[in-house]
Amino acid sequence: MWRRIRTMSWLSLVVWSGFAGAGFAYDVIDVRNGATITGKVALTGALPHAPRRFEVRNGPEVCGSERVLTKLDVHDGMVQGVVIALEGVEQGKPFASHRDAATDRGRGAFHYAGGNELNLDVRLEKCSFGPFTGVIRVDESVRFVNHDSIKHTLHTYSLKGRKAKIMRTLHTQSLRAQGQTEKNFPAKKLRRASAVVLTCDRHDFMENWLYMVRNPYYAISDESGNFEIGQIPPGDYKLVAWHPVLGMNEQRVTVTPDGRLAVNFEFIN
Amino acid sequence: MNGVLNPVKPGIIFVLFLFCLTWANTQGVHAALLDGMLDDVEESLAEGLANKGEKLTTGNFYTDDKPNAHAPIGMMGDHTHEAGEVMFSYRLMHMFMEGNRYGTDRVTTDEVTMMGRPVPSGYLVAPESMRMWMHMFGFMYGLNDTVTLTLMVPYLNNSMDHVTRMGGKFTTRSEGFGDIRFGSLWRLWAIEAPSIGAHRFHFNLSMSVPTGDIEPTDRTPLGPNSRLPYPMHLGSGTFDFYPGITYGGEMGHASWGIQAIGTLRAGQNSNDFSKGDAYTINVHGAYELIRNTLSSSVRLSWNHWEPYDGMDSNIRTNHPMNQIRIVQTAFPDLLGGQRLDLLFGVNILFPEFMGLENRLAVEGGFPIYQYLDGQLETDSVVTFGWQAVY
Repeated sequence: MWRRIRTMSWLSLVVWSGFAGAGFAYDVIDVRNGATITGKVALTGALPHAPRRFEVRNGPEVCGSERVLTKLDVHDGMVQGVVIALEGVEQGKPFASHRDAATDRGRGAFHYAGGNELNLDVRLEKCSFGPFTGVIRVDESVRFVNHDSIKHTLHTYSLKGRKAKIMRTLHTQSLRAQGQTEKNFPAKKLRRASAVVLTCDRHDFMENWLYMVRNPYYAISDESGNFEIGQIPPGDYKLVAWHPVLGMNEQRVTVTPDGRLAVNFEFIN
Repeated sequence: MNGVLNPVKPGIIFVLFLFCLTWANTQGVHAALLDGMLDDVEESLAEGLANKGEKLTTGNFYTDDKPNAHAPIGMMGDHTHEAGEVMFSYRLMHMFMEGNRYGTDRVTTDEVTMMGRPVPSGYLVAPESMRMWMHMFGFMYGLNDTVTLTLMVPYLNNSMDHVTRMGGKFTTRSEGFGDIRFGSLWRLWAIEAPSIGAHRFHFNLSMSVPTGDIEPTDRTPLGPNSRLPYPMHLGSGTFDFYPGITYGGEMGHASWGIQAIGTLRAGQNSNDFSKGDAYTINVHGAYELIRNTLSSSVRLSWNHWEPYDGMDSNIRTNHPMNQIRIVQTAFPDLLGGQRLDLLFGVNILFPEFMGLENRLAVEGGFPIYQYLDGQLETDSVVTFGWQAVY
C-alpha cells in the first residue's frame, strides 16, 4: 500500500514537473516585410443572447442600483468584442501597449503595457473589470487593482472537460477597497483551456472573458466588427475568431511579405 | 477504550498534516486539494447538467451573502474564506447543568449522598448544578486558495453548587483562559450548478496548546485551597488534535451541512492524566426567511466523550479519615458520556455595515438523550455570536 502511494507520488511529481516546463515561448525580433490581415466579423441569424438585468445588492452607491450584463454587442449585423488571434507565430513583433475600457456604465479597463510580454493590468472601477472580452497570456502575472471603495471578491475560472462544460475555479481572492493583487496563470493549470473567466462573487453582473493568446498577433473587433493585425512575419498560420457566446471559428491563412490579406468571419446562429 | 490509540495518535496526526502540506505544496496550483482527482465524477455530472443547459462549476467555496451561508453559531470551522479574507468573531456560550445522572437514569442528591450504598450513592458531597460561561474570541484568515487559518482563544468562568450529606451547601468557582486552539481548514472539493445546488467539502485540522489551568483551587469543606475536581478545569493539560471533515450544501433559500470532528489527546499531562477522546457529529439545516437578512436553523449534535485516563493524585477521591468517597466529579472513570442535543438558531446578516460584513446569531437547545457515567446532566446550551468579515 505505502509503496503504491510512494510510487504514485513520484509519478505525479514527474508529470507535474513535465507540465511545468511546457511553457509557450515567444521571441521578440525585428520584423521586416511584415504583412497585415484585416477583416470583419458578422453574425447571421437571431441574437443568441439577450442583455440581462441585475438588481445591485452589494454597494449600489458605487455600482448603481441596476446593472446590465451584455455578453454580445451586435451593430447592423457586425459583432464587437470578437478576439481574432493568429496561432503558430513563435517570433515577431513585441506586444503592443493599449487600453480597452468597459463599454457599459462601469469604468473598468484592461491595460496592456506590452513589450516582451502582455503585461495585463485589470483596473476595477465602478464595479467593472473592463470590456466583456480581452486576452490573457499563460505563465504571466496579471495585476488586479480595485479602484472602488467597496470590496470585490475576485473569482477566476477556466473551462474544462471534454466539451468544456465544467467551469473550474482557478483562483479566488478577496480584493478590499482600493486594494490590489497579482495572480499568475500557469500553463500547467490551463493546459486544456482556451479562456479565463473573471467574475466577482459579490456582483453577478461582473463577468469578463479573456482568450489565451501566445503571441502579440491578436485583435479585438470594434463596434463595426472590424479588426486589423499587422507586422506579421510571412508564413502559413491558423487564424482564430473567438467569442464566449458565439464560440470559435477558424481559417488557414497564408501571408506574403508586405502582403495585405482580407479575411472575414461569419458566425451563423 | 480510552488510551488505546494514544501511542499512535500523534504519529497519525503528524503524517496527515504533512501529507496535506506536501500535497498542497506539490500541486500548488489548484483551488482545492481534490481538484483534478475526481474528473470522471465531474464529467459525468456535467454531462447530465448539459442536457438541462447548465454548466457544472467546480472549486467554488464562496458562500453567498446569505444569513445561512454560515452554519448555526454553535458550530465552528464550518466555512472557509477566500484568500486574503479576514473574519473576527466573538461567541458567548452558556451551558447549564442541574441534577445527577447515572446511565440514562436521574439520581437525586439524596440518593447520591446516601450512606453505605454502592455507586452512584455513597458520596459525602453531591454536585447540584453547574454553570459554564465561555467567551470565545476567534480569528480566521484565508491564507490562499486552499487553506484557511483559524485561531480561537477561550475565556471560561465556571461555578458549581454542591450539597453535603449533612445538608450544608457550598459553591466552587474557576475562571481564566482555556486552551488556545490553532487550526486550519483545507478545501477538498466543491461542485455546484443551479439544479443541483452547491456542495462543498473541507477538512478540519486544528490543535490546542495547554494554556488552560488544570490546577484550579477554591475553598471547599476540605480546606481553603483545595484542588478542584476535573469538570472545573479550564484546560486539558495536553496538546489536543481536532481532525474532522465538514460538508455544506446550499440551494435556493435552504442550506444544510454535516460535520464530524474528533478530539484526540496526545499523551498525558503533567498531572498524570488525560481527558478522554471525544467525537462530535453535527447535522444542521437552515432556511432563509428574509432575503439576505434573516435565517433560522435546526441542528442535531451528537457528542461522545470517553472517561479520563489516569488521575491527578492531588485531587482527593476519598476522605482521609474514613475513606468514604468524597464527590463523584473527583473520579476520572465517571467522566465519560454521550449526549444528543437538539438546537434551534437564528442568523442575522448586516451586509457592509461599517465597512464589515456582520453577522449576529443565537442558538439554543437542550439534550434529547443523555447517557452519563455519573455526572451532572446538561439542561441547556445557548450560544450568542457576532462575526465580522473584512
